[in-house]
Amino acid sequence: MKKVELLSPAGDLERLKIALMYGADAVYIGGPMLSLRANAINFTFDEIKEAVKFAHSLHKKVYVTVNIILHNEELNLVNKYLKKLERCGIDAVIVSDPVVIKEALDNTKLEVHISTQGSTSNIESVKFWKNMGATRVVLARECTKDEIKEIIDNVDIEIETFIHGAMCAGYSGRCVMSNFLTNRDANRGGCSQICRWDFDLYSENKKEIKGDKPFTFCSKDLSMLKYLGNMIDIGITSLKIEGRMRSLYYIATVVSIYRKAIDEYYETGKIKNIDKYEKILRRCANRDSVPQFFNGVYDSTCSYYNGRVEVSNQDFLGIVLEYNKETKIATIEQRNYFKKGDIVEIFGPNHGTITYKFNIIIDEDGKQIDIVRHPRQIVKIKIDEFVENYDLIRIKS
Amino acid sequence: MFKLLTIPSSIEEIEKTKNIVNGFIIGIEDMCVNTNLCINDLEILKKIDKEVFINLNKNMHNSDLMKIEKLLDELDNFNIKGVLYYDIAVFNIYKKKKHNYDLVWYMEHATTNYAGVNYWNSLGVKYTYISSDISKEEIDLIIEKSKSKLMVTMFGYLPMFVSKRHIVKNYLEYFNLKDNSKVNYIEKDGNTYPIIDNSLGTSVYSSHILNGIKEVINLNIDYVVLNSFNIDLEKFIKVINFFKNVNNDNVLEYDENIKKLFDNTDECFLNKKTIYRVKK
Repeated sequence: MKKVELLSPAGDLERLKIALMYGADAVYIGGPMLSLRANAINFTFDEIKEAVKFAHSLHKKVYVTVNIILHNEELNLVNKYLKKLERCGIDAVIVSDPVVIKEALDNTKLEVHISTQGSTSNIESVKFWKNMGATRVVLARECTKDEIKEIIDNVDIEIETFIHGAMCAGYSGRCVMSNFLTNRDANRGGCSQICRWDFDLYSENKKEIKGDKPFTFCSKDLSMLKYLGNMIDIGITSLKIEGRMRSLYYIATVVSIYRKAIDEYYETGKIKNIDKYEKILRRCANRDSVPQFFNGVYDSTCSYYNGRVEVSNQDFLGIVLEYNKETKIATIEQRNYFKKGDIVEIFGPNHGTITYKFNIIIDEDGKQIDIVRHPRQIVKIKIDEFVENYDLIRIKS
Repeated sequence: MFKLLTIPSSIEEIEKTKNIVNGFIIGIEDMCVNTNLCINDLEILKKIDKEVFINLNKNMHNSDLMKIEKLLDELDNFNIKGVLYYDIAVFNIYKKKKHNYDLVWYMEHATTNYAGVNYWNSLGVKYTYISSDISKEEIDLIIEKSKSKLMVTMFGYLPMFVSKRHIVKNYLEYFNLKDNSKVNYIEKDGNTYPIIDNSLGTSVYSSHILNGIKEVINLNIDYVVLNSFNIDLEKFIKVINFFKNVNNDNVLEYDENIKKLFDNTDECFLNKKTIYRVKK
């Protein structure tokens, strides 16, 4: 039985390496153009080549999103761009505009994955894309478990679905509120997340309708950990984590949790520590998350009426840059305030979670300090357990 | 010269406008986002000689597939010119049989370039409904380079959001509020947007009514569409007549007349391109 693919976002090369090292089987990234996160850093061609080299050395894959809806002015860019991506050695393109799909299928050997932007939500649409030559369809987030299973049972094609991250309030591709309210083109990577804004709501007689919190389109995030076994059992090919703009800590945490859960399910047929895993995931994102449409429930329990009050996450304390096995000294780069006496967890791709209490902290001048308060401050600590570069430090959960 | 189509909101509207328009785009209940009409209402169209297009623009799920097949068959009994589709399922099911009407690609925010139009044309789709999210200049280029017959909205509230979620009902339920409005409104920064929460989910429309009468004069398109959603019928009939009779001599006058009828018109994206790359 082929194991399900864990697919992670990566906003840059550092996060790509983190994602793959922490257990993703594949990553999806944005290239220099035609990607739906126009405001992200995105990858240059050289970085894509390096990403591919790194991923392939681990027998893992890199997919590139070319998923904007084209206007006339972008048409002449597509052919050359796809060929350049092909020369970078990527494993597939994720696309939504039929023009890009046709161009990729007719003029390159790239594998084509149909983006969730196409909101593919039924057997017939999936059949259409299979007949056109696509090898994978990323289904609409509105699909239920039964619908996904029916599609898998009826069409011989790879199916990818989301397991974690932010949700659009509308069908992907059918929300252009950003265009109208901010003139930023949602389907060309400019989405300004109007769905998270507050509005005043009125009846048809223009009488204000007011609850304790303002009206909003905002939905809770998606978290499918509880249904992971179901998703594997029905034969989904790839489980996708949302969030190319997400932080290194978020990527490492979410990927590592799902990696553990997937492996555990394949080994034992169950996932024992779901509550603990969910607690870590919730802290990491700082937003409520629910299974959304998968179980057919998309009522008010999926809506998020928080008045946009979201506390920024302070859990991520630092990253290990280096470890000297002989002296047992770890060099750490600070990411959030910590101090002597704090009890923390150090986790990494190659070992379990280590609980550690900060005792002696040495700054770059060799002086002992009690508080590490400066952004990206470099300090050294003594730790007997083996840690290594790219291990992360977080507040103990 | 273009033909004039409207998207009627009621049978009454069809009756009152049938002699001044060239045809109608009719949404069928349960298969179209925001419509009050159903398949039985099509009977009225048998009595009038107009070009009729049927709008099936919802996102389809597996449970809709049999219904689509049945509906496409039923539509063969009417003198239909074409069926508008958003979801590719409609295309795939349509292709299985020979029908006596054509298809119209109406993926409303994706019909933004001429190569996409020609892609669907190469698959046998003879019409495309051009997006309202693009400029007049972009529309002109699509018209110039497309092989399909084209239509575009030039008057009405524009669609800007569709969701399966019941966003208004959820809010009312969550805060234990009561309201039975068919159309609600949401307001932000002084702009008011119609929002509808019905059996298919939620849809939201623009705060302003697109008034493209100044642009239709030089628009070499097959069909101009006027949408009556949320517009007073008597005023809408006046608008139809303005569009029907517009020419170079009266266009400014008609434009002013429309502006006098409604205090919230604009040209939307016709003369304003959206920003693609926010960060340079």
